[in-house]
Amino acid sequence: MMMAALLGEPTVSAAGTQPAVSEPCDLRFGGTGDEVPVSFRRHVIPLASRLGCSSRECHGSFQGQGELRLSLFGYDFEMDHQALTAENDERIDRNHPENSLILKKATLQEKHRGKKRMDVGSWEYNVFLNWIKSGAHNDAETSGAFLKLEILPSQIQFLRSGELVELKVLAHWDNGDVEDVTGMTRFQTNDESVATVDKRGVVTAVGSGDTHIVAFYDNGVAPVEVLIPWDSELARKYPALRTRTEIDRLVLAKLSRLGIVPSEVCGDEDFLRRVRLDLTGTLPTPDEVMRFLHDPSPGKRQAKIEMLLNTPEYAAWWATRLCDFTGNNNQQMPERNFRNEFSTQWWEWIHQRITQNVPYNQIVRGIVLASSRSSPQESFEVYATEMSGYLQKNEPGSFADRPSMPHFWARRNVRTADEKALSISHAFLGVRIECAQCHKHPFDQWTQQDFSQFKDFFEPVRFGRNPADNPKQTGKSYASILAEIEESTGYDRKMGTNRKAFDEEIKRRVAMGEPVPWQEVFVDQRFSGSPTLKNPNQKRRLNTRVLTPKLLGGEAVMLATYSDPREPLMDWMEDRENPYFSRAFVNRVWAHYFHRGLVEPADDMNLANPSVNEPLLDYLAGGFIESGFDMKWLHREILTSDTYQRSWRPNDSNRYDERNFSRMILRRLPAEVVHDAIQQATAPSSEISHMPSKIDGRAIGVKSSILSANTRNGLGYALNVFGKPERLNNCDCERSNQPTLLQTIYTRNDPDVLTAVTGKEGRTYRWADEIREQLRSSAPAQNKRADRKSIQSELQKVRVAYQDHTKNKPVPPEDPDPAAQQRYRKSMRQYQNQLQALKEERDNLVSRLESPSADSPTSQNQVALEKAINEVFLRTLSRLPLSHEFQNAMHDIHSAPNAADALSELLWALLNTKEFLVNH
Amino acid sequence: MSTGSNRTYCDGVARRDFIQIGALMGMGLGVNLPMWESLRASTPDRSGKAKSAIFVRLMGGPSHMDTFDLKPGAPSTHRGEFKERSTLVPGIRMCEHLPRLARTNDKFSVIRGISHSLAAHELGQKYLASGNRPIASLQYPAYGAVVAREIGSTNALPPFIAIPSQSDNPTGYLGMQYGPFETGRTPQKGQPMRVRGLGLEQGMTLEDIQRRHNLVQRYDTAFGTLAQEDKLLAGMDEFSQKSYQMIRSRETREAFDLSREPESISSLFGESGFSQSCLLATRLVESGVPFVTVSFGGWDTHQDNFSQLKEDNLPQLDDGLGGLFEALHAKGLWDSTVVFVTGEFGRTPKINERGGRDHYPRAMVALMGGGGIHGGQAIWRIGCKRAKAPKDRIFTPDDLAATLYRCLGIDHHKEYLTPTGRPVMLVRNGNPIQELLA
Repeated sequence: MMMAALLGEPTVSAAGTQPAVSEPCDLRFGGTGDEVPVSFRRHVIPLASRLGCSSRECHGSFQGQGELRLSLFGYDFEMDHQALTAENDERIDRNHPENSLILKKATLQEKHRGKKRMDVGSWEYNVFLNWIKSGAHNDAETSGAFLKLEILPSQIQFLRSGELVELKVLAHWDNGDVEDVTGMTRFQTNDESVATVDKRGVVTAVGSGDTHIVAFYDNGVAPVEVLIPWDSELARKYPALRTRTEIDRLVLAKLSRLGIVPSEVCGDEDFLRRVRLDLTGTLPTPDEVMRFLHDPSPGKRQAKIEMLLNTPEYAAWWATRLCDFTGNNNQQMPERNFRNEFSTQWWEWIHQRITQNVPYNQIVRGIVLASSRSSPQESFEVYATEMSGYLQKNEPGSFADRPSMPHFWARRNVRTADEKALSISHAFLGVRIECAQCHKHPFDQWTQQDFSQFKDFFEPVRFGRNPADNPKQTGKSYASILAEIEESTGYDRKMGTNRKAFDEEIKRRVAMGEPVPWQEVFVDQRFSGSPTLKNPNQKRRLNTRVLTPKLLGGEAVMLATYSDPREPLMDWMEDRENPYFSRAFVNRVWAHYFHRGLVEPADDMNLANPSVNEPLLDYLAGGFIESGFDMKWLHREILTSDTYQRSWRPNDSNRYDERNFSRMILRRLPAEVVHDAIQQATAPSSEISHMPSKIDGRAIGVKSSILSANTRNGLGYALNVFGKPERLNNCDCERSNQPTLLQTIYTRNDPDVLTAVTGKEGRTYRWADEIREQLRSSAPAQNKRADRKSIQSELQKVRVAYQDHTKNKPVPPEDPDPAAQQRYRKSMRQYQNQLQALKEERDNLVSRLESPSADSPTSQNQVALEKAINEVFLRTLSRLPLSHEFQNAMHDIHSAPNAADALSELLWALLNTKEFLVNH
Repeated sequence: MSTGSNRTYCDGVARRDFIQIGALMGMGLGVNLPMWESLRASTPDRSGKAKSAIFVRLMGGPSHMDTFDLKPGAPSTHRGEFKERSTLVPGIRMCEHLPRLARTNDKFSVIRGISHSLAAHELGQKYLASGNRPIASLQYPAYGAVVAREIGSTNALPPFIAIPSQSDNPTGYLGMQYGPFETGRTPQKGQPMRVRGLGLEQGMTLEDIQRRHNLVQRYDTAFGTLAQEDKLLAGMDEFSQKSYQMIRSRETREAFDLSREPESISSLFGESGFSQSCLLATRLVESGVPFVTVSFGGWDTHQDNFSQLKEDNLPQLDDGLGGLFEALHAKGLWDSTVVFVTGEFGRTPKINERGGRDHYPRAMVALMGGGGIHGGQAIWRIGCKRAKAPKDRIFTPDDLAATLYRCLGIDHHKEYLTPTGRPVMLVRNGNPIQELLA
């Protein structure tokens, strides 16, 4: 057995302070004596889990198996104890422990569909046997609290495949016990092509790369990094590479261990196009490309990033991304007549804050703590008038100026406390806790109790009609306004009659800025600890439940001290010690700029899914907090790094690495960006320079928030084909950047794209129309033969005219009269001038026919063509053509019947290259 | 992409694109227990009879007890409102609301007592569409993607067409180039299905299409050899080639044109979207498409199970499948086409208080017929009460997959290498169901 170099070998601290570690399980329980105490929580349940008894396929199934059901992933000690020790059952026989059914089944002394799980007399057998002998008690309450899982070694660096390392797992308990629980731990590898692990915890190196082995015990989940270099020589003698930024240093630290040298920094064209598309969702314009390429200043990349951070397109695109993260879905908006308006408000509210670079935590604060009324004292009428005021026809108020944005809580798919808990944890913590709704989270520490306590924060957060809105308050109430409108329209809610009239009246009132019965987001004060409950019926209905919500992995909160339970939650989220809030956002932004997050999937942070570069994630998350949650700091930090600016060209050492950012991995452009890029690349010159900053109508702007998910026309169709997220599930995977056949069919042959490219048949003026006119006015390039023919026929005409003209030669007058002589000289001059002109024209035509350049366009036209070819490349690929590309293009155009059509065909072709459709 | 066929399921989620299998899934926890030992040594593969397959997905999980596996003897809390009727095949009975299928059931076989343990829609759908129980670390390819890879296109038409969509990452580890061509909508009676982008637009000729295709190829060289190595680029190239062929092909346009179907065939189908989808599926198979998926949603009947089935789902199912079976026969395609109809799970035997039935993966039912399948059977069944041990064997989705592959002549034990170099068997845990094999 080869043993690998072990990093992180347990460093033994001074004797005495180190608690005594128990012996390994097989030694401890291997004897036949029953003197070794066995704990239900510490030993029986974890072992049952490792043996597979409580797995989903077996007794962990919600239906149980063979009439025995254990809790999935084993954390419900009470339930499991009851299941195992139920009366009238022979599973546990305290009088004759060896006869217990659980032992006989698991050793196949009795028929067991789950086959043999252990041998009679094995240490595993002894654990169960001794537990039964000692009375089969449940000690979950008395075993003390589990503190943490420690794995030794904490990191494994193999040199080559085939090497082995044995893991040791220590469980730390709050009474100071440290137990070797290796034999009771479940292990998994996150990538079997790198390393495998067996049930004893022996890790085998399989192939180059890096991954994690994860250990599960009690509710502890601990990953161990395993790494096998791609090139161990290179890893040992890694070249000294310059690192410009902290990001680069941290990325390189990992690459050096893997024996990977990163790719070069990319060229200016690639950089400009990449950063433009990523940061602003917008292609650079031809002028912008040329100016950037010609800019000699060494700091121009930094300056460009800075400039882009202040553009409207940056704010629009990132407002859209934040709407992705927060789930702005118009179909889920509450008021059926104003769904798009609500989604627009949501987008605009975020957009304004991104424009002003409001700190990220402040934006989240405005969403998380939002209620519909500006203050609890505000009357319904004032509130309702204000809401209508944002949507009225004349001089509507600015919703974005509101300090808070309540629509997050108003969504129809986020009504229960469970849904709210899931939405909050996904949107702002990057944590998926849905598993813990029903059972212990298989990959994380969350238990059902954690979930149910966390969701208590959201019990009082309601959407609907505010019960505090009572008739005694000043002004009109929800009920009175509703009654008013129902009466005036004859709407009968039960029967559904006159619903249309009712809707029309609502719309009319809103357009006038008049109050309508708006529902609202509010905190139900009946839940707070304050003794405001007057109505005993209400009290009974709410079961006088005292909520003591618990923060995820944090402390329980006494709600009595808060009128809004979301306040302590928000305080906890933005606390610098919070383990999720900053990391979740930083990781999502990283995933936006690269092909993956540092944690991937970017929205699935769990203990079994560790970051590929923990120090880097730490650095960015910490720096983001330090910066005061300054999003521009984060963008700048990433974009200015060499890591972001690496070329996509692989080298020999990084060809197979797609995990560690050693080169830029190509990414298909996001749906909104593809759509806008096609529109911009085909726009007339008069428009193109304004297009990046003109947000109206752009897909990267509010449009992507208000298009119906199922639309199959126009912009909506394109966005769906290219995988715009529906923002319905709590999953970042809703956005798909995979290519499909329909996408290719769209860019090649969709009527919308063809119209944008070729112009003439469309309603709008396109670049193709413009170039058509331009070439016409500067003598269009013509077909060679047609051109030659026309020259010949022209020449023929001139020759005939010349001949004819000679016949007109004036005859000198015989009359010596000076006046006659004068007339003669004059007509002679005219004759000769005319003759000369015809001669010149003839010579010109002859030379055009004879000279090699005779069949090429005029030089003026030639210049226009050259310019147009460059323009097509700049518009689409954001670079000038290479010389062979240029020659090809020129050749294509000359051999085409019509130069303008050939140019628009070139434009179409370049839009269909991979180079256009991916960010590289 | 999202399409009209997507329904929202009980958990409020309309499935779209691929949903990462989150942590709900069991993982290989070091101990992999096949629930049932295979009772039969696997026999050598014989070459498949079918050249094409039609996979009908009843999305949401149809109630087995109200369709093909009624339990008239069960207590009233369980048995449901529908009566059994006799069928063309003596001894086989099915729901009274499936009269046409009852007349054609010599053609197909009913498989009862299929069982698994994934009670969530997306997981169950992935399982039934791939024959592999989903795990977190690996995405398995759906049948269509495997067929696209193993059989591939026989002509300009894509090898894997989904009506209207199949968007839960059906390509898995095989890579996106084997993904489905989604029609995006369900066809309408007598209409040429205008699949956007497939027409000759703006008066373009086939020569124009060809010239343009060459033009793209000439300029699309920036990534050099990386284009073959990179999964994204390779996928884009594959689609580029494919779209060129499709747009050029008259065959393609005619295959989607239901108005070209003779009355004798089109009259076999009803007007519902599902019925017309079945008609389109037969046309596509006739045109040489090896794999067609038809998705039919609305089976997630947590409430009002009986009225919904009676008024809506069952008549459509009866019309669509009845038409499908008859039309394949009439066109002489029956022996070369295997048809596989399934939901993602069955529904609870006990009727809930809202008159509905909930998810029940422990028992479900599927239909198979056509090329390679011995029709006119109803095979195996388990008792209706959950906790009771099955009377006989239980079939798994893996077995259904193995059977389907057998019919198509694809070795279900074939191993593929994933992009990370890991060898994975096509269907590891299943065996073809011998009784079904003709």
